[in-house]
Amino acid sequence: MKIRTVRHIIKDGFVNTYRNKLMSLASTVIVVASLIIFGFFLLVSYNLELNVKMWQEQPQMEVFCYTELDATQVKMVEDSIKNNDKIAEYIRVSREENYEKAKEKLGKGSDLLKGYGADTFMESFIIRLKDTQYSQEVVSSLEKMSGVEKISYSQNAIDVISRISYWIKLGSSLMVTIFLVVSVFIISNTIKLTVFARRKEINIMKYIGATDWFIRWPFVVEGVIISIVGAIVAFVISAYGYMSLYDKFAQDLFLADSQLLKMVDISEVWPQLILSYLAIGVVVGMIGSFLSIRKHLRV
Amino acid sequence: MVELKNVSKTYSNGTVALRDINLKMDKGEFVFVVGPSGSGKSSLVKLLLKEEDATEGEVYVNGYDVSSLSRHEVPYLRRSLGCVFQDFRLLPNKTVYENVAFAMIITEALPKEIRRQVPMALALVGLSRKANTYPSQLSGGEQQRVALARALVNNPSLLIADEPTGNLDPETSWEIMKLLSEVNNRGTTVIVTTHEKSIVDEMKRRVVAISKGLIVRDQEKGQYRDEDKNCQTYH
Repeated sequence: MKIRTVRHIIKDGFVNTYRNKLMSLASTVIVVASLIIFGFFLLVSYNLELNVKMWQEQPQMEVFCYTELDATQVKMVEDSIKNNDKIAEYIRVSREENYEKAKEKLGKGSDLLKGYGADTFMESFIIRLKDTQYSQEVVSSLEKMSGVEKISYSQNAIDVISRISYWIKLGSSLMVTIFLVVSVFIISNTIKLTVFARRKEINIMKYIGATDWFIRWPFVVEGVIISIVGAIVAFVISAYGYMSLYDKFAQDLFLADSQLLKMVDISEVWPQLILSYLAIGVVVGMIGSFLSIRKHLRV
Repeated sequence: MVELKNVSKTYSNGTVALRDINLKMDKGEFVFVVGPSGSGKSSLVKLLLKEEDATEGEVYVNGYDVSSLSRHEVPYLRRSLGCVFQDFRLLPNKTVYENVAFAMIITEALPKEIRRQVPMALALVGLSRKANTYPSQLSGGEQQRVALARALVNNPSLLIADEPTGNLDPETSWEIMKLLSEVNNRGTTVIVTTHEKSIVDEMKRRVVAISKGLIVRDQEKGQYRDEDKNCQTYH
């Protein structure tokens, strides 16, 4: 293929897109709509994943040392926690802090603590695991240590969250896949309509001796132009929508403060969003044009 | 130039379109293929363009063995000849100039060549002034002339016109026929299928009459209708 032919094909693709304004517009709108639906589920699944991760990290364990331990013995316990590679981070809680905590917990009944000093309380460590699935392992290894009196944790909560997060991950990836397939169908069907509307044109080109590729390429270029425009429009709409939702969410102090729910920042997802839009659009546009034109080339 | 040897065509639904046809056309000839609708003359044209394949026999066009041509060689056969149809078959989204130029672009001709040839072809059919209009803005006769310019722009040695005047009034039909005749005078072989009696009778060219898939008459300087009574029953 000569360079001037390539140039002609690309120019033809642009000119045809412009001259078939109505059909191009209709196709673009459909591309935009299906990409936004797809993007919605993609964003939902990103957010679910983030929140699930957060919940997964939240369940903490508290390791309580015996009250009688002196500073060096406590240090030994701390070192073994520090060296455990399954623990993401830990906080050392001193006797005084535990004393204050107990006071706070009791509230009005803190009178009960009169006569007890901080030294009657024990030192403890609040631990956060790298992954909830290690919980059993970590607990059994820490329990074996001398100096550790008890470990408080709720295995049940951890198990439930692990299971829920598994199902949420599975469900959201299923949704994204379904809508990916649906988008592919809708977009390629639209292209089929465009090609059908212009089957006479394809026929004529065949009659005057154009090769299949010569006819096919401008349609492919057209499909790609429409999908790129569609992807950009879809991105602008969904990014704008997401950002305004994010702002509303952030303003709602209760939700933001509670730390129970979080939204993924747009800056973290926009590259994935536009890339998947472009990739889906372009691949589907190309394959769609390619396949739907094939039938009409047999003259 | 064009040769058919023992060609038969039966469509998949069982319709027999051509039966054991033998036909030869030489370089520079002007041939009318006449016959009523359903006689098989359109099938004949389809075989020449390899729109359909012959069920039996051999077809040669411009040195191509049409029957054994592979799918991707077909465009090159079609480029070697010019084609004009009853329904004009112009690209609606392209201007007159672009329509004609398109036939050259597909052959990957040089832009310089295109800029030279297209105005010449348009001048030949008398449409230089309409170069920038779209087909929908033209009359039927003008559209057919654009189609003719497109068919001729690559200087083909063979021009096939399938019912070129089928959609035109008698006066315009004559203009097209005169153009075809002129093209023939320049040395291009011309094959015209038609059922317009007056034109065929007037032009006094070779006439190949087809009826029920058979060549019933092949006559130099022929008439549309033969005195043969057997033939008349089909008209």
